[in-house]
Amino acid sequence: MQLIISFIILMLCAVPAFAIDGQQLLKQIDRNLNPESFESYRKLINIEPDGTRKEFTLYSVKKGTDKVASLFLAPASDKGRTTLRLGDNMWLYIPNVGKPVRITSLQSVVGGVFNNADILQLDYDAEYTVEKVEEKGNDYLLHLKAKTKSVAYDRIRLWADRGKKLPNKIECLTEAGMLIKTIYFKDIKDFGGIVRPATVETDSPLYKGYRSVMLYAKLKKRTFKDEVFTLNGMVMLDSLR
Amino acid sequence: MPRLALICVLLFVAVSASAEEFSFDEAELDKKWYHLGGYAEARPALNLLDKDAAQTRLRYYDKNTDDVLPDFNGKLLLEWSLEKEWAKLFVQPSLDYTNSRLNKDLKLSWYEVWFQVKPDDSFKALLGKKSLRWGKGYAWNPVAFFDRLKNPDEPELSLEGFWLATADYVRSFDSPLKTIAVTPLILPQNHSLNDDFGSGDRINWGGKLYLLLYDTDIDLLVRGKGSRDAAYGLDFSRNLTTNFELHGELAWELNAERPVINSAGQQTVAGGDAVSWLLGLRYLTEQDATWILEYYRNGNGYTRQEMDVYYQNVDQAWATWQQTGTSSQLQRLGQNQSYSRPATMQDYLYLRISQKEPWDILYFTPALTSITNLRDGSFSASPELAYTGITNLELRLKGTALVGSRRSEYGEKPNDARIELRVRWYF
Repeated sequence: MQLIISFIILMLCAVPAFAIDGQQLLKQIDRNLNPESFESYRKLINIEPDGTRKEFTLYSVKKGTDKVASLFLAPASDKGRTTLRLGDNMWLYIPNVGKPVRITSLQSVVGGVFNNADILQLDYDAEYTVEKVEEKGNDYLLHLKAKTKSVAYDRIRLWADRGKKLPNKIECLTEAGMLIKTIYFKDIKDFGGIVRPATVETDSPLYKGYRSVMLYAKLKKRTFKDEVFTLNGMVMLDSLR
Repeated sequence: MPRLALICVLLFVAVSASAEEFSFDEAELDKKWYHLGGYAEARPALNLLDKDAAQTRLRYYDKNTDDVLPDFNGKLLLEWSLEKEWAKLFVQPSLDYTNSRLNKDLKLSWYEVWFQVKPDDSFKALLGKKSLRWGKGYAWNPVAFFDRLKNPDEPELSLEGFWLATADYVRSFDSPLKTIAVTPLILPQNHSLNDDFGSGDRINWGGKLYLLLYDTDIDLLVRGKGSRDAAYGLDFSRNLTTNFELHGELAWELNAERPVINSAGQQTVAGGDAVSWLLGLRYLTEQDATWILEYYRNGNGYTRQEMDVYYQNVDQAWATWQQTGTSSQLQRLGQNQSYSRPATMQDYLYLRISQKEPWDILYFTPALTSITNLRDGSFSASPELAYTGITNLELRLKGTALVGSRRSEYGEKPNDARIELRVRWYF
């Protein structure tokens, strides 16, 4: 009897130790992927089925969970374009147009498989609730559900390395469970203490044969004033470089 | 053994190819303290003239014209900047070339020339020539109190600015009011500076207060009485869902005036306080088509009756020219540009539908744009095909049909139709 009671007490203690707090895990994945406030350069490559490529270079800054802005540096036809995201609000500034206009997260300012929400990605924890965590071999599989209707993808399945707590693969789904795109995280690199994938690839059943790739460079922690993430600040983003 | 060697070679080639598949040269990211860029553009076009239209008669009454009139337009827009820490100098000249059977012209305009200091991320000040582009509307901006009139057929083109001094102070908060920004400005006007802004050798003042309140962009705008009369405005823009944006503008101009030709052929002035407004939306469908729809009420626009009197005057002037060879009436009417400017009447509807990358053709965007004058039922319809798949090259083929009865706005435009190829190369 004593043995049974001891076993029950042991089990009660052990269960909380092994239970995974999904939201906490997602927060940790977010932090491993990016510091809370940072700057980075990205090259975005759209690859067509015949191998034709088009490349874009962006300078990006992020602060906290809901502020991110990007400036196009190349090609010349897109140079000076700036995108700003403040929570669910997104704007695009085109130098010729001369003023920021509101855009939607599902649009794509560059064409190809990446849309605006992918380019101006916030913390997953800010936009998604973890419904379930499964252990799949060396990976955790997190089932995420959008917190609001204004999020680009209603559901996400996120595979993360159990040891590194970094994503390997993300599947983006509609509310009905239809796969919109798959994002692959590759090429883990040390950016001065921030160890994360340097290559992010995506394909989509909606764009058969097309691929988009995002390469990271010069990613580093940096703090910014909130005023950088305003309509007045977004047209001055180049001055931060 | 040869088979093994072949496998080794193939493996080496495959590994090399994958290693070099994507590269990111960090040296290309270094910021330079100067920048020179811009674009060169060629726009050959064919115009199908409406020889009986009022605007054709006013422009070409003394010229022999064919029904089909080709023209060629070229543009070189340069952007040159110097930037060092908190200071920036920016110059944007535009060289425009026009060549048609009727005229040839080369014109240099300085669109923007300004010097800006930004001692802090919250504050910047600017002195020089600048286009402010106030307002949230896509095709029209009734609250753009200090800008030149935008062409709704090409709303995304750069505009020539005015000489002014302005500053921006912005603050952010962690509350429903996320941002507040104050933008005062001064715009001097005399015979040599901003001479087309108005008259009276005055120092004009104005400003804008911007709020991001409950996820809604709101601007309160003012133009003080000076070379033009005072004006007050409000605009807003908000995303209602991830694929639906709503925007609007409201402008109240005191003592707004417009030149009116009376039935005796004399120019008089009509006007009074004018309220203009615009309500628009931007909607993205599940099929990736973007709809932009705007209704515009021009409070200082011509009435149907005023336009009828104007067209009667043109008919009489044309009859006089044909009977006597006297062109003074036609010349006088032709000098009055306000009857031929965009959105010259009172009620308009703008619709643009653009489909992103149909049939999986990347960077290909077909679009259809229509502007309808709701007062007389005339309209323009412009289908276009745009392709941006070649780096730094933008190709656009655009056709426009102008449809309307006699004595309607689009029925009296010089063209019945126009087709234009635009080739733009960025550098």
